[in-house]
Amino acid sequence: MELKPIISVKDLHFSYKNHQVLSGVNLELYRGEIVSLLGPNGCGKSTLIKLILKLIKGKGEIAIDGKPLQNYSHKDIASHVAYIPQYNNTPFNYSVQEMVVMGRVSKLDFFALPSAHDYKVADKALQKIGIEHLKSRAFGQLSGGQKQMVLLARAIAQEVNVFIMDEPVAGLDYGNQIRLLELISELGSEGYTFLKTTHYPDHALLVSSRVVVMNGGVVICDGAPEDVISKQMIEDVYNIKADIIMHDSHRRCVPIFERKREAI
Amino acid sequence: MRYKKEAKYLLLATLTLAIVALLSLLWGQYQIDMSTFVEYLNYKLFSKGEIDSQTFTLIDNIILEIRLPRVLLAILLGAALSTSGAVFQAMFVNPLVSPGILGVLAGASFGAACGMLLSDSWLIVQVLAFAFGFVAVGFAVLIGSMVTNSRSTVMLVLGGVISAALFTSLLSIIKYVADPYSTLPAIVYWLMGSLSMAQLNEVAFVAIPILLSITGMIFMSKYFDLMSLGDEEAKALGVNVKLIRIVAIILATLASSLSVVMAGIIGWVGLIIPHIVRMAVGPSHRLLIPLSAIVGGAFLLLADAISRLALSVEIPIGILTSLIGIPIFIIVLKNARAAWN
Repeated sequence: MELKPIISVKDLHFSYKNHQVLSGVNLELYRGEIVSLLGPNGCGKSTLIKLILKLIKGKGEIAIDGKPLQNYSHKDIASHVAYIPQYNNTPFNYSVQEMVVMGRVSKLDFFALPSAHDYKVADKALQKIGIEHLKSRAFGQLSGGQKQMVLLARAIAQEVNVFIMDEPVAGLDYGNQIRLLELISELGSEGYTFLKTTHYPDHALLVSSRVVVMNGGVVICDGAPEDVISKQMIEDVYNIKADIIMHDSHRRCVPIFERKREAI
Repeated sequence: MRYKKEAKYLLLATLTLAIVALLSLLWGQYQIDMSTFVEYLNYKLFSKGEIDSQTFTLIDNIILEIRLPRVLLAILLGAALSTSGAVFQAMFVNPLVSPGILGVLAGASFGAACGMLLSDSWLIVQVLAFAFGFVAVGFAVLIGSMVTNSRSTVMLVLGGVISAALFTSLLSIIKYVADPYSTLPAIVYWLMGSLSMAQLNEVAFVAIPILLSITGMIFMSKYFDLMSLGDEEAKALGVNVKLIRIVAIILATLASSLSVVMAGIIGWVGLIIPHIVRMAVGPSHRLLIPLSAIVGGAFLLLADAISRLALSVEIPIGILTSLIGIPIFIIVLKNARAAWN
């Protein structure tokens, strides 16, 4: 039997104020994959994610579980795909538990309040991420890393299989970046599917089953991490030199620091 | 039980409201003592006990004609303004907005004055108040979004200031053309804001739409949590953002516009009550919305009691809520500014 993609994107175009952001993007996401989207600033990674989540509208075909995106309401999408945004502060300081319970709203009837079951699911999600001790803390007072963990727990509470993350490690300190990557890798091995954008080819090598590179609004490579992330690709896309080395049986991407660099 | 904490706070607030309401019924230029009131109630409700008929008629008049309508109206309007304030703050992800700041109250007062000028119909006054309240908030949002695309706390507040200023000037035109011997005094007196003209049948008439919109806002409260995270996150969590926003804004505008029709512009209540409640019980709208309604009702009732009792003449309630609201808001600003960046 042929494997069917959970998300498929065909010939997707998007322009913003006469500026062509995406010009014919194709992408497929299969169950159990961890796909890293790489590319320089402005290449259209975040735009692609927003299009898949129907946060903005473009031209082309997007389907979730074989059904065109047009036929999905936001409520339907939320019961297939969870979005983990780059955290931003809301002026209203909810507790961690309240933040996670918000992941349950798409499951509720219009007038229903979250039930004891919803709170239980939320608590379990916090346990799974290992942050149940933060439950009563105010979300706004957490560190960037803890906030990302809470948003991941919220995604788990949504009880979906597919997680879409927009630059999950942005703004995190070094330790939290690595810990978050480990967590994503762990959840991936449990069968969760990830589509995440990243600025770090090295992170893509560490935690992905597939890497998609975008540049200038199109996908330029799509394949296994060891095939896609090469010296040549780094030079073409980012205009710097890098070495791909083996370390502790992992491929790593190490940028080469040149003292005389042309102006950025 | 899941919502123990919520039930506790709601019960406590309702109890406070009941006590303030009882005291408001008893206190005034003619003091009614507790035992007389109990005798009166006993006779009125169960036709039992001894009360001389002169005292009964006097108390019956004071309670039913003067104090009860006023008490009910104060609770109703306090609840309307506070819930609207909380809902506007969530809808615009902006803790600095309120029906007053968004221009709704100014727009509604212009609409209501138009209604008074054009027709004698109470319904037309209400409909125009709501319509222009809605136009005013729309105008505020339009100006707020003209300069920057992104959501800006300050720009929306400025948009509201401009919108309020516009409708205040338009109102001045109405005053200018109104008949100086009949319509003008009526408009001016009404605008100063007072609950003293309340009559039971009028209160009942306005109570229905206000209570309906407050109930609607309470039922939608779980969506306000998600909307206050911003549009994208709310959509991704499964909220029909457009629908919820338009319905919520209509309900909040309706409730606050009708408060203007009944008692003129009562500022600050819609801004400070949600803040005070949030500081006490947290930002979750499941509790914030109903609790704001009760606390707001109690607050306006208390303010009205002060306006009646403090001096030998009555102070317009709008002036009093500003005098109480401003210092409270300064404290709130000082405590909460960190979260607003």
